[in-house]
Amino acid sequence: MRNEVVNSQWSMVNSRWSMVISQWSLVIGVILITSFSSFAQYPGYSTVADLPSFKKQFAIEAKKIQSIKSAFVQEKNLSVLAEKITSEGNFNFKRENKVRIAYEKPFSYIMIMNGDQMLVKDNQKENKVNVKSNKLFQQVNKIMVDCVQGTILDNKDFTVKVFQNDKNWLLEMTPVGKGLKEFFQTILVYADKHDYSVSSIDMREPSGDNTLIRFTHKELNTAIPDALFAIK
Amino acid sequence: MRFLLLSSLVVAGLLMGCKSEYADLKPVQADVTCIGKFKPTFQVNWYNASVDVIGKHLSGLLLFKAMPDSSLRVVFTNEVGITFFDFGFSSDGKFKVYQVIKQLDKKAVINLLRKDFELMVMREVDGANLKSFTRNGEIFMARAGKSETDYFITDKDCASLLRIEKASKKKIKTMVTRIGGEQVPDSVFLKHYTFNMTIALKKLKR
Repeated sequence: MRNEVVNSQWSMVNSRWSMVISQWSLVIGVILITSFSSFAQYPGYSTVADLPSFKKQFAIEAKKIQSIKSAFVQEKNLSVLAEKITSEGNFNFKRENKVRIAYEKPFSYIMIMNGDQMLVKDNQKENKVNVKSNKLFQQVNKIMVDCVQGTILDNKDFTVKVFQNDKNWLLEMTPVGKGLKEFFQTILVYADKHDYSVSSIDMREPSGDNTLIRFTHKELNTAIPDALFAIK
Repeated sequence: MRFLLLSSLVVAGLLMGCKSEYADLKPVQADVTCIGKFKPTFQVNWYNASVDVIGKHLSGLLLFKAMPDSSLRVVFTNEVGITFFDFGFSSDGKFKVYQVIKQLDKKAVINLLRKDFELMVMREVDGANLKSFTRNGEIFMARAGKSETDYFITDKDCASLLRIEKASKKKIKTMVTRIGGEQVPDSVFLKHYTFNMTIALKKLKR
């Protein structure tokens, strides 16, 4: 009889312990899984689960940005060759659809996007492109404009996941179509949490190479003359 | 009479057309090993590149990198950072495509670029495989291939490399000229003569 009681008490203790243990394992498991997944993807970043409300907020906040004036530093990394080249210049954006990217060092290269028109000017030549006539140009143009206008989450050329830390939003954009997939594995867009403006763009290629563009000395909503985006 | 004149002009024209542009090269004794000093010795060198092909213009950055296994990698990216191609030239003459975008991934295009870069970097050029000729005071050091010959042309003292030409049996096909820096040229210009294409490289000051 006594043995039976002891056994049943033991089994109760055991089942309690096993419950406690299983609860803890669950908690530890969840902690491990979540921390592992956030570390595995982007250290220090966690997933933004409510994408629709982020999307709404992102669009509202980004709409407050009428113009961006900024300097930038671009670093192209050739992973296998362990080489990198750094270039710098300035960036201008004006709503709607006006972007001017001017590389100044160590080479001169200007790219202006104004609506459906695009102008590329290097050391030797000026090339005017009707973006509508070239699908890839159209897509690249759309990425640039969507990034700064806050409509990137609606861009159907990508699937987007959003992450956050205390300072930044991180938009992980994965191309859907074959054309863009050839050039990009993912494009990571980092936006400041306080004003939703883009602070850097990391374009990762399938080969393992990447191009990181960091925006510095950002000025939001200052007057920028239209003439800066003129395509003659 | 007029017919005779016309036909002789046509025949003369045909004969002239058949004559090789290199027919008047005269064999000469010259120290062909001196060409070795003009062979570019790239370590890690970036160039601003402009390519014009049949009315289309393309610009970007070109990297020459000498690898530890003594092969040479040539990588072309555009200014925004997209890699167009990454080719490897090994010291035993082998060629490898490490990466190429779909638009350029055609045998004819890759072969053309391969030949152009081999000519620019004077791949596999040494005194042993060259014969020397002369014309107008210039020394032509010729390396004969199956259907084409590469001419490395210097002044009579082999003090400077004037130009490089690739030719069929009769006509020039490609010319390379360089400016500055013997071992690592400051600028390189390549022109095709059988169709409209040029490649211009200018060393980046970083």
